[in-house]
Amino acid sequence: MELLERYLQAVRKYLPMRRQDDIVAELRANMESQIEDRESELGRALTQGELDDFLRKMGHPMMVASRYQPQQYLIGPTIFPMYFYVLRLAMLWAFIICMIVAAVVTPLTQPGGQAVIDALFRTPGVLVQVAAWITLVFAAFDFARTRYPQACPEIPGITQNWNPSSLPPLEKAEHSGKPRSLTQTVIEIVMGVLFLGWLLLIPHHPFLLMGPGAAYLQAGPFLLAPVWWTFYWLLIAVNIMQISWKCIELARGTWERPSRLLQMISKAVGLIPIIFLLTMQDHQYVLLKNPLADQMRYGQTLHQVNEGLHFAFIVVCAIVVVQLAFDIGKWILEDYRGRIAKA
Amino acid sequence: MTAAENTFENLRLELRRGCLTLAVLAQLKEEHYGYTLRKDLAERGLEIDESTLYPLLRRLETQRLLVSEWREQDKRNKRFYRLSPEGEQILARLLDEWNTINTSVSRILRETDAETK
Repeated sequence: MELLERYLQAVRKYLPMRRQDDIVAELRANMESQIEDRESELGRALTQGELDDFLRKMGHPMMVASRYQPQQYLIGPTIFPMYFYVLRLAMLWAFIICMIVAAVVTPLTQPGGQAVIDALFRTPGVLVQVAAWITLVFAAFDFARTRYPQACPEIPGITQNWNPSSLPPLEKAEHSGKPRSLTQTVIEIVMGVLFLGWLLLIPHHPFLLMGPGAAYLQAGPFLLAPVWWTFYWLLIAVNIMQISWKCIELARGTWERPSRLLQMISKAVGLIPIIFLLTMQDHQYVLLKNPLADQMRYGQTLHQVNEGLHFAFIVVCAIVVVQLAFDIGKWILEDYRGRIAKA
Repeated sequence: MTAAENTFENLRLELRRGCLTLAVLAQLKEEHYGYTLRKDLAERGLEIDESTLYPLLRRLETQRLLVSEWREQDKRNKRFYRLSPEGEQILARLLDEWNTINTSVSRILRETDAETK
């Protein structure tokens, strides 16, 4: 019977502290009765092999003990849907923030490509930490809720008293909805061409962009840095590409359902001019016409203007990246749902 | 185990879980200790693992559906369980529910069988 004692000792280790003696005593009584019954059937004592089989059939000590635990799960079915929703949302935002930090903030604050690679490699660690913290908080909440139901607040939205009229309105099925009309496509092309024309006129007629500010710029001590020319031509190229793409759609007769992939590429390409400005060293977007003469007087203002512009570009870039990431996520989700529906 | 087998096994366990509780409560109208209860259930065609039955008894006692006491029998201390007054009420309600489900499922099967023939 030494083996039985060893088995019970192993079970005891996994039992709740307060009930160990009681549970082990009951288990022993039941198991000994069972062994006695079997021995009286056979007319002899059980062999070592038969006892092995009996204990194996009882199950692993950890599994046997786990069934005596009041709670056999980390997060129960009542709050699991909310936990999973929060987890997915937090993971998505953590991923987006990591990407912005790696692709936008890091290149601006630290020199060299290695810093960007390091920032990218930190992403999995951050995601694991976010998931661990959320799991820990929900597990603690479920633990408290199970043991002290009176003291815990009801979870809004999943209690019996939820209000159906508080459900969100129907979402528009963007892609499966009304197709883009020919008129809309033509108007988009015409507006694109007009915008391109306006852009091309700006170098000769700066007031089209700056209004009265153009005269001030001409008379004042400041001038735009040559980097704006590169930015300008990149902007022109992106616009030409977008107009061409719409013309190709029109020519091919595919304007009703434009390709999502091309839409994403178009948005991503739109980021190129702004990223180009962000990668400018020393953030010299505006210069002094006569640096030697005006440095003392306008140096501080010039610095503030350049830093202000740089910050504005970071904000714009971050917004566009978040928007793009959101669109890509939405596209992947819709594609996934479409595949499921077809299956 | 194939995916179909796995699905079947999960559904079977789900179906059995409630039925076992009902059978244990019904059987404990008479006093039993763990092992004899298991034997009696097995003799009536309901096999149940020790590792399922013994914790189930504890849980039902925590829910105040059973009462228990330690007593010596055959020179060995054993914990004997029986249905509590609260357990009797719950058992009666559960049996009503069981009979309703049983009747409904039988009717559905009869009618769908008749329609398919």
